[in-house]
Order: sequence, then structure tokens, then C-alpha cells
Amino acid sequence: MPSDQGPDDVIARYLGGEIGSMNAQLPKVRKTLTELLHEEHPRVVCLDGSEHSFKLDELKFLASILDDRERDELLLPMIIEVHSGRSELVVRSRLGVEAKVFARVLDMPVSVEKAGIRIYRSQLGSVRRTLKTATQYVFTL
Amino acid sequence: MAVKIHVTRPTKIELARLKKRLRLAKRIQKIIKDRLSILVMEFLQTVRESAEVRERLQKEYEEAYKALSLSVGYHGYAQVEQSLMVSSMPFSLHASTRNVAGVTLPTFQMEQDQDSSWFSPAEDSSLIEYASSAAQRCLSGTVELAELQSALELLGDEINKVKRVNNALEYAVIPGLDATIKYLSMKFEERDREEVARLKYVKLLIEKREAYAF
Repeated sequence: MPSDQGPDDVIARYLGGEIGSMNAQLPKVRKTLTELLHEEHPRVVCLDGSEHSFKLDELKFLASILDDRERDELLLPMIIEVHSGRSELVVRSRLGVEAKVFARVLDMPVSVEKAGIRIYRSQLGSVRRTLKTATQYVFTL
Repeated sequence: MAVKIHVTRPTKIELARLKKRLRLAKRIQKIIKDRLSILVMEFLQTVRESAEVRERLQKEYEEAYKALSLSVGYHGYAQVEQSLMVSSMPFSLHASTRNVAGVTLPTFQMEQDQDSSWFSPAEDSSLIEYASSAAQRCLSGTVELAELQSALELLGDEINKVKRVNNALEYAVIPGLDATIKYLSMKFEERDREEVARLKYVKLLIEKREAYAF
């Protein structure tokens, strides 16, 4: 029997807020590698007000594989887009510097497409292992 | 599992609203599943790293204790204790946070001046110095393990939470919405059928009335 109680609006609000809370860890403003290397405690402020700190070892590793111009171009954290229902992930790359980093980390050539750099879920483990704080996820539909 | 049908107003607007909500719930469930798989992957990776660090730390502690016992055996307990009392190892620990798929995890950065890593005003033997450097390695390993262990706990909690949300969507919200939509659709179809029957009956009455009028 149907009840005369209406569907709770809390559910609708909750469902709407769920996506927002999932991507709340995104940085408000990304910083270049050069900027971060000059900071004593390299970090960025996230959308939810929390802080995302970078490991110095990772920054040093990135600095070791990039030249001065590329250090100025590389924005951190690098954003890995997770599209629902797709097996591959996309890393947004405006200037293609990220491709050099990922090629080094994955130890294979990486091509930059219009959408960005495509990586597969099986490769994600090695990326995250090396760049634990230099990469972040964003969940999209 | 029996699902509860919730109907505020059996109207077409309500049906459209419910269909919209169902679409939203299904899309959000897809994202939640993605997030869950990412969190599980991160959790497993942290477990592997934690096991590696633990194994390494065990070896380092073994080495440190061996070095300490050697120093104590060679110099005697009193002298080693005296050396330890006057010596110092300046270091600072910077605690901050990092974010993994919406989970805030602690991160510890041990800052240590390599030149002044071990300071002792007394002239220590190489055995004591070796023991101190082994202890120093243990300290950085312990900090690393602490970070990984707390990350494991927080990721585990979040996985449980996300699983509950996913299960709620999969077994309660989506089937509930589906059942309500089905119920409303059937109700509207029934109403349409009644309407057709009523119209036919009215048409028949009008025809009869017209026939009697002549």
C-alpha cells in the first residue's frame, strides 16, 4: 500500500550535495612547480577550505625531470578526471608538460590528445604511487 | 526485498519529478561506484606500502638494537647512558593534510638538518655513533608508518561510509523510486481506462436520450 508520506526532500538534497562533497578537495587555485619549490611548506587551499600539502620528495622528483620553463608551466596538483562508466582516465594537459611527467612515471610514451592525456585504470597504481600528493581526482558524469 | 512506495500527490507533475530524481540517483550511484573503486585501490596501495615500511622498519630496529647492545657491551651501560643524556638530535615534524578522493589524510614531514643530525658534546665512539644513526633511521621510518597507518584507518572508514551510501541507493532509494514510478504509471493508466469507459457510458446515455427525444 502506498503511504501518504511524501518522498523525503532530504534524499534529493543529499544526492545533489553528494557530487559537491566528492569534488570538494579540488584546489581553489593551482600553483606552478616553481612557486611550490620556493615555499617552506608547499601546499594549496582546497574548495572546502582544507589544505592539500605536497611531499618535498615528489616536488624534487618533478623538478629533476623538467627544465626551468616546464617547471613554470606545470600546475600542481595535476587533475585526474574519473568519468563514470569509462575505463580510461583523463589528465588535463594545457601545455603538454604533464605528458612528459606521465611518460617518465609510466616509463612509456604518452600522447596528448585534445581532451588531455589518457591513462588506464591499471596504470593508475604506478602513477599514484609515485605522485601521491602531486595528483588529485575529480569525479565527473 | 520489499520496497516502500511513497506518493505525496498522485499527479503527472509528481511522476515527472520522480523520474528526474531516479535519473539523478542512478547517475550519482555511478559516480559513487567510481569513487569506491578509487578508494579501494588507494586503500590496497596503502596496505602494500605499509607492509613494505613495516618490514623495513623491523630490520632497522633490529639493526639499531644490535648496535645499541654492542655499544653497551663495549662501553658499559653507564657510559652509553651518559652519552645519550648529553647528546641531542635536532629535528622537527611538520604535520599537515593531503586529500585523496575527498578524504583528508594526515601527512608528516620530518625536517632534519643533515649536518647536525646527531650532536654530542662528548667524544663518542664509532659504535655509539652508529647506534645513534640507526636509531635516527628508525625514527623517520616510524613517522612514515604512522602516516600510512592513519591513512589506512581513515580510508577504511570512508570506504565503509561510501559502501553504505551505495547500498542505500542500490537497495532502497532506486528500487523505491522505481516502484513508486511504476505505481503512479499504473494508476494513471487505470485512470485513463476509467475515463474511456466513463466517456463511452456518457456517449451511450446521450444517444439513448436523443433516441427517446425523437
